[in-house]
Amino acid sequence: MSDHLSYFESSAGTVAVSLPFDYHRAVEDWVALRKTMIRQVPDEFTRDEWAYLVTFLEPGNLLRPFLNSFGVSVTEPSGPFRLLYRPRGPIAIWLPNNVSLLGPLTLVLLSLTGQPMRLKLGSSTEDLAGAFLRYAVSNLSPGDLQEYLATQVQAETFARADPRQQELAGSAKVRIVFGTDAAAEAIHRLPHPLDSIGFSFVDRASEAWLEPGALNVEVLTTLIKVFVIYGQAGCTSPKRVILLNGSRGEATDLRDRLLELWPTVVGAEPAMHTASGNLMAEQWSRALGWDPQPATRNAAVLASGSRELPGFESPMALRIQSATPEQALADLPANIQTIGYALEKPEDPAWLKLLAGSQVLRFVPLGQMHYFGSHWDGQEFWRQCFEGMEIR
Amino acid sequence: MSRLLNPDSPYGPRSDADFLAEMNALTRAHIEGCPEYASIWPGFDRAENLTELPWLHVGLFKHIEFKTSGEGIRHERTLKSSATTSGVSSLVTLDRASSELQSASTLAIFRNFVGDSIRPLLVLDSSRSLLTRGEVSARIAAALSLRPLASEIHFLLDDAEDPGSMKWDSLAEQLRNHDDLLVYGFTWILWLAWGNANLPDEIRELLAGKRIHFVHSGGWKKLEDIQVDRRRFDDSLLSGLHPDARVIDFYGLVEQVGIIYPLCEAGFRHAPAWADLLVRDPWTLDSLVGEPGQLQLMNTLAMGAPYHNVLTEDVGRIVPGDCPCGRAGKRFELLGRIPKAEVRGCANV
Repeated sequence: MSDHLSYFESSAGTVAVSLPFDYHRAVEDWVALRKTMIRQVPDEFTRDEWAYLVTFLEPGNLLRPFLNSFGVSVTEPSGPFRLLYRPRGPIAIWLPNNVSLLGPLTLVLLSLTGQPMRLKLGSSTEDLAGAFLRYAVSNLSPGDLQEYLATQVQAETFARADPRQQELAGSAKVRIVFGTDAAAEAIHRLPHPLDSIGFSFVDRASEAWLEPGALNVEVLTTLIKVFVIYGQAGCTSPKRVILLNGSRGEATDLRDRLLELWPTVVGAEPAMHTASGNLMAEQWSRALGWDPQPATRNAAVLASGSRELPGFESPMALRIQSATPEQALADLPANIQTIGYALEKPEDPAWLKLLAGSQVLRFVPLGQMHYFGSHWDGQEFWRQCFEGMEIR
Repeated sequence: MSRLLNPDSPYGPRSDADFLAEMNALTRAHIEGCPEYASIWPGFDRAENLTELPWLHVGLFKHIEFKTSGEGIRHERTLKSSATTSGVSSLVTLDRASSELQSASTLAIFRNFVGDSIRPLLVLDSSRSLLTRGEVSARIAAALSLRPLASEIHFLLDDAEDPGSMKWDSLAEQLRNHDDLLVYGFTWILWLAWGNANLPDEIRELLAGKRIHFVHSGGWKKLEDIQVDRRRFDDSLLSGLHPDARVIDFYGLVEQVGIIYPLCEAGFRHAPAWADLLVRDPWTLDSLVGEPGQLQLMNTLAMGAPYHNVLTEDVGRIVPGDCPCGRAGKRFELLGRIPKAEVRGCANV
């Protein structure tokens, strides 16, 4: 691979970015891989996961980190250079056992930095990042990207006490940790280069905020889809639905409309343990005062109730409550990440005023709750894989 | 309650109508005395058959500590499950009257399998496990249910969680003094501490010709992981012993305390006269016969909390017809736990 300078125009002026390959070619190669991907779903992935990955590899999506980080791409620089960005260096990523799609998605985005990358995978997991890396190396057309993935990206599995854990932290210029708060703390405490940088993507929760006037079949279908992919286990899946300024009766109506739509949206038979867990969740929520109903073939439990009710947890249980926006804000969990909305006027600055003092990290349309990008959990992690040289 | 508990004939014929009537009455008592239970099953009056009876999912006992109040009910201790799968224990509140019935039930079932003789009971646990006041572990509860058949009790482990902490001297002393012994342990502990242990030469010599009944419970998951099947397990324990020595594997739940399901000589498990079971389709809750599904266990002994009718997370199959072993109670095969898939999602579970 040869060093490659790419140019961008931004409000700061002309920016140059040094990469080990032509990133346009790398994006084209990823996009071309989709043709192979749509033919067959590998065993390691569910159909929904694979479909998400195919969608993720759209050119606009892959070029967005460059646009958001450096500006508009140009072939020839038009003015004096103000900044030169160059990669910080090797990247290390820790992926615990149940991180699923975020692994391959992070791999794809960071591959566009062209830096040596090591993925530390969970030791007892159905590993999607390693599986996707193997798939990409086998199926990409020969070229810089394929060679880079084959030679500079390693997926490894080892225990926490393994000496490679220290070595990984000590050799990386960028540490990205998915995991619990404790795991992230422990990894960032390991000896690491002073000029390295660390990111923690830890325990988060998300919610859906809906206004009665914005509800239609499309919105409700989207809500079912974003919930069902990982249920309560997804940090970007709604843990509860807030019907803004609605009544308890309207929350129950919303539950019933979702249940009615369910079989038209979700075709797959739930696993036996999922169905059983939902029987438990239905009884638990009822004992707490909720009004639960099972979805078709016990695939989920949707429970409506007032905001004062104590919560209950089950992988495929969804709470539906009514609240004013102020109440919804007050009830947000401390680890809130995403609010997925369906609002009559989402562009109204009142929403921003409401959320300005909150810990919310993403406020996105319902259908974009799971969209992963170069800005995540409030951190520009992709852009921070580069360091800038000021030019005067 | 329960008029059906006949200690001398646990698997004798019984009136199904009487069983249903007792279950209906017990269910109504729980609905009157336990608000959480009443909120789960509002409006219940009576069931026309077993499938209509209200039940509780076994997982609820990890989240709600149910208690039924009523005349003459005195809550005493809390029974705690081992929490090996989820890390969270089930809590079952015991009351004095039910405990007496449950002890009588367990004894009647054990006697049917191991006989009436009184002999030393050796427990593969630590005596320190007895010390927690007000709470009792499932393992200790199972061991102590054999107490009426014991002339004396000895705990053989120094550390309850370490099968390698076997007190061989204590075992040697019992083997020197007795030809008949009763041994209880969790399945995996019995294997690691005894069946697969490197027995000292002295113990091996002392074991020769002894009549030992090994009673174990707790499931096979840990042994399946290391490819130990029932035959290897039994053969290893019985090697060199008297031909009358036996291994008895029983199935039971903390949430169905007092009712145990030993494996019969024909390879099935039977409900005693004061218990019954259904197998449910988890997707439709239909009652299944001859097909595998989720086991629902019920009994007429639990008065202090509504654990008289529990939908388990175990998979079983009701086997119609008479059993060659001669026991009349409904028979079933236990097929294992509901298979669990890995939870996929983010890093937060």
